[in-house]
Amino acid sequence: MRSIISKVLKNRRAISPVIANLILIAAVIGVGFAALVWAQSQSSSYTTQYGSVISSDISQLQERVVFEYIYYDSTKNNLTVYLMNSGTIGNVGVSAVYVDTNTPNSTIALRLLSTGASASSLNATQEGYFSISPSPSLTPGTNHSIKIVTRRGSTFVATV
Amino acid sequence: MLPRFRHRKTRRRLISDSRGFSSIVGAIFAVLVMFSLISTVFVWSLSQNTLYNNTVRQSNQADLDRSSEKVQVLNTTYNAYSNGNVTVSAQIQNNGPSSIQFITAWLYVSNASWNNYNWCKLTNASVQGGSVFTLNVNLTVSGLNSTYTHSFASWLITARGNVVSLQRTIVYGNNIIVSQTTQGIGSISMDFKQSRYYDFGSGYVSNGTSLPSSKNSYTIPNSNNTILAVLLTNYDNTTQDIILNANSYLWIITPQAGTVKPAAWNIANVTNGKYINSFSTQTLQYGKPTIVYFGPSSPSFASSALPTVVPVFILLFGKIGTNDFGQNIPFIAFYISS
Repeated sequence: MRSIISKVLKNRRAISPVIANLILIAAVIGVGFAALVWAQSQSSSYTTQYGSVISSDISQLQERVVFEYIYYDSTKNNLTVYLMNSGTIGNVGVSAVYVDTNTPNSTIALRLLSTGASASSLNATQEGYFSISPSPSLTPGTNHSIKIVTRRGSTFVATV
Repeated sequence: MLPRFRHRKTRRRLISDSRGFSSIVGAIFAVLVMFSLISTVFVWSLSQNTLYNNTVRQSNQADLDRSSEKVQVLNTTYNAYSNGNVTVSAQIQNNGPSSIQFITAWLYVSNASWNNYNWCKLTNASVQGGSVFTLNVNLTVSGLNSTYTHSFASWLITARGNVVSLQRTIVYGNNIIVSQTTQGIGSISMDFKQSRYYDFGSGYVSNGTSLPSSKNSYTIPNSNNTILAVLLTNYDNTTQDIILNANSYLWIITPQAGTVKPAAWNIANVTNGKYINSFSTQTLQYGKPTIVYFGPSSPSFASSALPTVVPVFILLFGKIGTNDFGQNIPFIAFYISS
């Protein structure tokens, strides 16, 4: 055994391939780990992104808004829309309102029906309302479509 | 050489030859990386897919539950009181399989010149499938004068988001509830209290002339141009709108002059308080009291016949759906002053 070790130590020709192999293995391990970390970070970023898309889609699917009543005061050009969140998800906010195909109204002051307090969104089964001044003003006796777009992107349409 | 010895030699050569290790380690790493990534993403995406499918299923179930709500409303009555209070009563039969919770009741009241609405939250308004629920709610509608005729409409909102309409009803002043159809005398009825006329004097009434202040009187001048206004309500039993055309008149005759001298006011177009000299049609919506204008014209009877009392006939002609509609309302008398 001792003779073998001394032979190996004395035999310089064998050292360079061993070192070369060690370096090569270390390099492969290093690059492999780096690739693993990079791939994991990429997949983590992808899953986060895709997860948020799925989560958003799921939330959107759960949104339901019903128009309880739409009242138009032609003397004041004031359209009041009463809504209820009949879905299973809360935090339903109105981001834009389209009257017919006109320019959307995106400044929506939502209020709770029960208290009249201003609210940014409606929870499940909560009722609320908002008022806007449509431009151009509506013609009494003719049909008009009111479309609301929620903050999650769902659209709900009613015809009055 | 025997195959057994050949294999042993190959294995020994492979073990002794260290030049292939890095490739093997690299390959193992590659496999590990791929396996861990693919399995993680696969399991995760599977869970996301399950989550999404569950949500879709729940959402479909909610839609199904909502569409399976079947409600029949019977015996809707409205009672209006002097302070603007209105009592809405109805029998609500749940014909669906699942229970229904009503959360809000709405009431809309209108007449020809006024409208308003209100709502109230309903508590303990849950109806089991197949059961009957007696609705009895009190709402206050500001500005409601119970002595006038009004049209009442009411509807309920369910927790699942359905809107259940109650029967619309016309309630005459002092709470005289009329049937939906005056089958004996025609589909259109007139509110006597709301009859009025607009006196333009003896001058010509041009297009776009604003109406002067109205006069609630059955005495009209003989020589002045007047526009006459009557409040009509369509009670058609098929609840269709009636469209009046230009062949509608307000017509009077006098028996005083020896010969029957008629005078007629054509149906007129008054828009935003101004007389428009072109008339196309006027729609009488079902249940909605609507002011119909006639004129401008004047009786212009011979002075020898004046003053006199004349019968007034409101001759209405047009369409109801695709059919002709014609009705004469003969219940008014005018006193023509000299």
